[in-house]
This record gives sequence, structure tokens and C-alpha cells, in this order.
Amino acid sequence: MRKTLLALAAAIGLLFATTPAANAYEPVNIVHTERVQIGPYGMTVGFSTWPLRAMQSLDFTFIPDDGIAGKSGTLAFLNPETGRLGRPQPLAKHPRKLEVWGLDIRALQTEGSWTFRFEIDGPAGKGAGELRDLTVLEQPGPPMAVSWSISLIPLIVLAVLVTVAWRRTKLRLRGNGLPATV
Amino acid sequence: MDLTAGGARVASVARSERTGAVPAGTVLAGSVISLVGLTWDIQWHGDVGPDTFFTLPHLFLYSGSAISGLASLVVVLMTTAARRAGRQVDARVGGRAINVFGKVFAAPAGYLVTGTGAAMFLLYGLWDQWWHGLYGFDAVIDSPPHIGLLLSITLSIIGTVMVFAAAREHRWGTLGVVGTLGVLIAFSTVTVLGLQQIDSDLVDVVSVGIALLSVLLVSAGAGFWGRPGGAVRVAAALAVIQAITWWFSPWAAEAYASAVGLPMRDYIDGVPAMPAMMPMALLPIAAVLEAVYLLSRRGWTAGRVSVLAGGIGGFLVGASMPIQNTVVYGGDSVDWAVVFATAAAGTVFGLLGGFAGWRFGGMLRLLAPAKGDNAHA
Repeated sequence: MRKTLLALAAAIGLLFATTPAANAYEPVNIVHTERVQIGPYGMTVGFSTWPLRAMQSLDFTFIPDDGIAGKSGTLAFLNPETGRLGRPQPLAKHPRKLEVWGLDIRALQTEGSWTFRFEIDGPAGKGAGELRDLTVLEQPGPPMAVSWSISLIPLIVLAVLVTVAWRRTKLRLRGNGLPATV
Repeated sequence: MDLTAGGARVASVARSERTGAVPAGTVLAGSVISLVGLTWDIQWHGDVGPDTFFTLPHLFLYSGSAISGLASLVVVLMTTAARRAGRQVDARVGGRAINVFGKVFAAPAGYLVTGTGAAMFLLYGLWDQWWHGLYGFDAVIDSPPHIGLLLSITLSIIGTVMVFAAAREHRWGTLGVVGTLGVLIAFSTVTVLGLQQIDSDLVDVVSVGIALLSVLLVSAGAGFWGRPGGAVRVAAALAVIQAITWWFSPWAAEAYASAVGLPMRDYIDGVPAMPAMMPMALLPIAAVLEAVYLLSRRGWTAGRVSVLAGGIGGFLVGASMPIQNTVVYGGDSVDWAVVFATAAAGTVFGLLGGFAGWRFGGMLRLLAPAKGDNAHA
């Protein structure tokens, strides 16, 4: 067993040594832009994928006309399925494009017509504005019900295991079970 | 190495003390490595962001399952070899051997469950890869493949609990059960995020899930321990895990980001994401449960007492979680309607948790062979 463990440790060590670092991240690639007016501020919203499809993550960039310096702002999403406006989140620098605001690895979860609601505070004062009618197409891939059914198989295995064990131990544990105190 | 007792009923204690501890420790190590990977991965997504398949936290997650799976495979093969050679198989190593594929393999129950979970983990890993190819690395924790992965690890850890339970006559066996139950509660706080699919404004569904599972597993610890202290020990194991990961996960995310030259996100809330999901009040709540269990000294049936204790525990966990979330994330005010609704739902599921948990504890006890002369309680 000691040999097995040593071999195992060696294999894991090798994996660590040969794993590419997570720094192989790609530049932000904008393939489509939309314009939005937020009070006194004009802004370009960029998308790394177009057209948009539900659940597919992408890079969003939010670029005020004269840059982000000296400005702060928030963004809230109006979900077409629930009709609810989400909690405003601060506009933050894109992790891979630090000179602009943006979102990485973010997906819009449902198809329909989305609205982005912006608020910006800066040298020209406060402003609010919306990017409306952002069409998100149907999600690709299998229907979610199918995906969830596949994912719940371990739970079904567990339920079968518990049922079998429960029935087999019924007689031995019958009555008052085990005393809580000895 | 000697995994079987060589047919000797009265093996020397020194020899049997060694028996099974190494593979049991190995599958537990696999679970802990997966837990480290998970808490690190979640923190990474929140504090730093970009994901690829080959991140260090992912490597921890996958190697943890691989270690548990390989250790289980080794034990199953050695048990099969032992049976074929006509040697008696020691049920203290992972429990009674079960025939798999007819009589091709003899797999001790605990290792069979751990190995099955690890094998399913690999399959769900492939599916997760495909999913990310289709949808991108969206860092959604409650995607179907992720929940499948988490449920597979859960199955593995349940097998690990069984492995230790079968070695109940050893002190490391009983302590291993309560420690691994703590690991299981820590893990389940993420798995229950799958319940976010259920849309409810009034009841905090995820907190109800945490109430059910934490009460169930704490009660299982009590039922297994068989004397006062089991529930508190499981809760203490969770508290230790919570304390360590509270420090570890933000540190690891930042250290890794700096190592690969990525900036931290602009707006970090400073909250260790996964440890913050673990119920902080579980230790005192477990102490309350222990006090309720004492009712069985007054002639109440222990199993029924556990149902009552479970209801009380479910109420307390259900009420405390929304308050905990508000405090940890610096919310303006506690939404008392949500607190009461969640506590009420927690009570109902807690009754179930107390009932089933106690019974599971009893079932775990039965995994160990009947005590021999050299056994201690």
C-alpha cells in the first residue's frame, strides 16, 4: 500500500508540474456594439458574441465616451422572464481589459427581450439610462429538464441505496432504536 | 499490506488496529482535497474570475475524487483476491463484501459506494467539459453538470462515512465517522444551491435545504455515537472546517491570482464565499439537540426524541441562516418575514431530518461486524 501511495503521490506531483497555468486567458474580443445614452454620458456597450443566446457566457464591455476615469456607476438587469429588475451592481473594471468597465464569464439566463439599466455619476453629474430590447435567443443544447434528469442520477443511486439499507436493517433497528444514553 | 484479517477471529489488537486505517485515511484525504478545491474554486470565481479547465482549484477537485476512487479500487481488488484465495474477508475493512457483476468482484459496501461516486464524478466531469464548450465558463455553480459533480462527491463521502463506521471498534473509526459527517455538511451547503431553481420570495429555499441536511447529519452522528456527544462532535468538525476555509479560501484565491498575474476584481465583498454558507450557529444548536436527547433517559423512545430534536434544530438553523446571510454580507436590515417563513419550513424538514438522521446513525452502527472480545465501545 505504501508503494501504491507513493506512486499516487508521484502521479499527482507530475500533474501539478505539467498543468498549464491559468494565465492563458484570451484578450477581450468585441464583435458587436450598441449605443446607450445615460444622462449626459454617451456609452458604447460591447459584446464578444452576437447574436446572444440564453445561458451562453460572454464578455460585456461598457465604455463611456471619454473613459471611465473619475466616474462610477451601477448596472441592473431587467429579466424578461420574471419581469423583475435585479439588484444594481457596481460597474467594475473588466478583469482582462482594465481600461474599461465590463463583465466577464457572464450569461443572460433566459431568452427574451432584456433591458440593461445604467446609472453613472461623474464630472457632468448623475445620469440614468437604459439599453432596451436586447434580444436573447433560445438556449442551445438539450432542454434543461433533460439536463437536470441526468444530473440527479447520483441522487437516485443514493435513494436506492438508502431504501435497500433501510429495509434490510428494519428488523434489527425495530422498536425504540438505539438508546441515546448508555 | 494486509487488508484482511487472514481468517483469524481473534487477531491481535496491534495487527487489527492497522487494518483498514490506511485505505480509510486515503479516501478521507481524497474527500478533504476535493473540499479544499471546491472552496478555493468558488472563491476564485468571486474574487478573480476567469476560468479554464486547467486551474489549480479544479486540479484539487479532480485529484481528490481520483484518490478516493483509486483507493476504493485497490481495496475492492484486494478483497476480491482475498476471497478467491479462500481467505476470510474482514468486514471491519469497509463493511461486508457485496458481490458485484455476479461474483466477479467482492466489494466492501463502503468502498463500493465511494468508488461508484468517484466513477460517476469522472463521467460528470466529461459532461461538464462538454457543457462549458457549449455555454462557456460561466462560473454558474448550480448548473446541472456541477450539481451532478457535487452529488457524485457526496456519494463518495457517504461511502467514506460507511468505511469508518465499519471500523467502529477502533477509535479512529468512530472519530472518522463524525469528522467525515462534518465534511459532508460542509459540502452539502454548496450542493443545496441547486435548490435555487425553486423560485420563492418568502422562503429562503437554500437555507431550508441546509437546515434539513445539517440536522440530518448531526442526528446521524448522535445516532451513531450512541451516547451523549455525537451531535456536538459533528458540529465541531464543521466548525473546524469553517474556521480553516474561512482563512484559506480568500488567501488561496489571492495567492493564485498573484501567481498567474491576474488582478483581483474591483468590488470584492471580502466574504469567504463557501465558508459563509456553512451554518455558523450549528455548534450551539447541536448542544441544544444533545439536551433534548437526554429526554430519552426519562423513558421516551430515542428515535422519537430525535424527531422532536430535529424539529427544534430545523427551526433554529432555518431562522439563523437568513440572519447569518444578512450579517455576513452587511445587509441593511433582517427581513423577519423571510426568517419566520424559513424557520417554519426548516422545522418541518428538521422533523424529517431528526427522524431519518437517527435511523441512519443506527444503520451506520450495523455496518460494523458484531463486537468481538477485543472490541471496545
